[in-house]
Amino acid sequence: MHRQRHAFIHFCAGIPLVWLGVVFIVPLLISVVFSFGTNTFGGITFGFTLDNYRTALSGLYLAVLARTIAFAAGASFTCLVVAYPVAYFIAGRTGWQRTLCLVLILLPYFSSFLIRVMSLQILFSRDNILDAWLQRLHFATGPLDLINTPVAVLVGMVYAYLPIATVPIFLVLERIPPALRDASRDLGASYWQRFLTVTFPLSLPGVVTSALLTIVPMLGELVIPQLLGGGRGVLMGQIISSQYLQAQNYPLGASMAVILMLIVGVLLHLSWWLGRRLEGRVR
Amino acid sequence: MTDASQSVSRRAVLQMLAAASFAASDRARAAPSLNIYSWPNYFSGNDLAGFARQSGIVPNISNYDSNDILFSKLNSASGAGFDIVIPSSSWIAVLRQHGLLQEIDPARINLSTLAPALLGRPYDPENRYSIPKDWGVLGVVYDPAAVGGEISTWRDFLDASERPGVSGKVRLSSSAWEVIGIALWLQGKDWNAVDADAIRAAGDVLRPFMKHVSSFDALDPNELANGTIVMAQSNQSVARTALMLNPKLHWVVPKPMSEIWVDCYAIARNAPHVDAAYEFLSYQLRPDVQLQETVAIGFPAALAGLRDKVEPGVAHFDMIFGGKNLDIGKLTSFVVNPKTIGVYLQTQLELQAAAD
Repeated sequence: MHRQRHAFIHFCAGIPLVWLGVVFIVPLLISVVFSFGTNTFGGITFGFTLDNYRTALSGLYLAVLARTIAFAAGASFTCLVVAYPVAYFIAGRTGWQRTLCLVLILLPYFSSFLIRVMSLQILFSRDNILDAWLQRLHFATGPLDLINTPVAVLVGMVYAYLPIATVPIFLVLERIPPALRDASRDLGASYWQRFLTVTFPLSLPGVVTSALLTIVPMLGELVIPQLLGGGRGVLMGQIISSQYLQAQNYPLGASMAVILMLIVGVLLHLSWWLGRRLEGRVR
Repeated sequence: MTDASQSVSRRAVLQMLAAASFAASDRARAAPSLNIYSWPNYFSGNDLAGFARQSGIVPNISNYDSNDILFSKLNSASGAGFDIVIPSSSWIAVLRQHGLLQEIDPARINLSTLAPALLGRPYDPENRYSIPKDWGVLGVVYDPAAVGGEISTWRDFLDASERPGVSGKVRLSSSAWEVIGIALWLQGKDWNAVDADAIRAAGDVLRPFMKHVSSFDALDPNELANGTIVMAQSNQSVARTALMLNPKLHWVVPKPMSEIWVDCYAIARNAPHVDAAYEFLSYQLRPDVQLQETVAIGFPAALAGLRDKVEPGVAHFDMIFGGKNLDIGKLTSFVVNPKTIGVYLQTQLELQAAAD
């Protein structure tokens, strides 16, 4: 009986392992193998060459990689700046108010990602409701023409990833024991001192998690720059897509994807290291 | 009820089930079928219904939104099972070279009703692998008040982009060859014959103009109607819609050269329903069907003398055919060449990056 239960537990654990292996590890390994091959337009001659990596890390592609990292870092930071007060506000609510806030934050996820971005596209287009309001309130004298600009892409990224940034920060904030803040107040700390010396440091693991959860998908984002940026000032996701599809150059596309994965790996390691340091400091 | 009767009853039920499943599988085997892989909304519903009535076949239609996706699909294991595909002229040579299309039997179709200018083009000189379905041209739709007059050449197009009311409101195509073609045509070069250096040099010619470009994305006619875009590369169908929304706009196919693309019927390699595919092609090539397709899709079918057959009361009638007096025989069709396509794409990416 005991052995049967063991076998059942192993079987259950094996399902996600097989799933991960098939949909994650195998494609990852295929990409790595492809990246060392030679392109034959829509095919690959397998072998070992570093030419694809040289190409991916030179000229235009290197510049786009640097631009993508800078853009994703900026968008992720903006996301955190917006998400933190929201998470702080929700953590301060209780009961139905907290539930309602969380539902409102997660509500957009009930609709398709594409529909949400297309809605922003309509909102940013000329002669739409945003333009009309801003002009009526005398904040603008003419059309903003936000569409097809980097600002539109930035706003789109922040909008799309805000819930992902908010939830981890909220989860950490709500678990901070109120006794800690009470103790600091009893010791004479002002509101801002309590926030800066107790609440914020204790919430940093959540901030690091949010940063990681937003910057990683932003590095490979394809839809938002295309729909809101008008194809100007390309980012890495668009370049990888164009290598795989239009150029049918799988090895070069794969090498770019592997480079992005390595960057994500470095970010993961950095967040793990930061997390450990922060934990140690809190203890 | 006895045990025996129960036993008989159970057997009867099993027999009925077996017979039903045999019948179903037999029907499935016998039922004619046809799998079409095409651009979205690329057939008239009336024509598909007419074909179903005539042949008893209801085609299964799947969609793609770019030729590269069609190529990737047919070039992989997931591409098996398609009968008819609709590649554009630019990708037919590549599809053929990769053995992804099968040769068309000329005895089973009638091409005599099609426009000679659309047959025997460089991408398939003997139409052994492709039959023209419909076509479009690359032109410019613009607001003459903003650009300060009329545009007749690609030079005019580039010069106009620098004007204060135009700069920042220009749309270029997302297709690399349609953008780089501007400079190549102005230099009198053949976009299918140039080498990598010539493509890069053409990119250098265009780079200073990129700061005036606001979009390389799909063209929304509303953007032309409300003034977000005042000058754009476009096909005649989108331009026609924009002209309906804003009659002040003008349309031209600039000199000295521009593009004609032809979307073609082709039969996929290992198509499982070849007979049904030929039946469908024969139906679609009927003059009355081509006429209906033109009205429904908005792009002109390949039927010879089509212009005289469409009722002239249709709004912006000439725009359906790319404008008045357009000689499509003098336009050029791009052919994707694996040796240069990567350079075209990289140059386009550089131009898009320079536009930011």
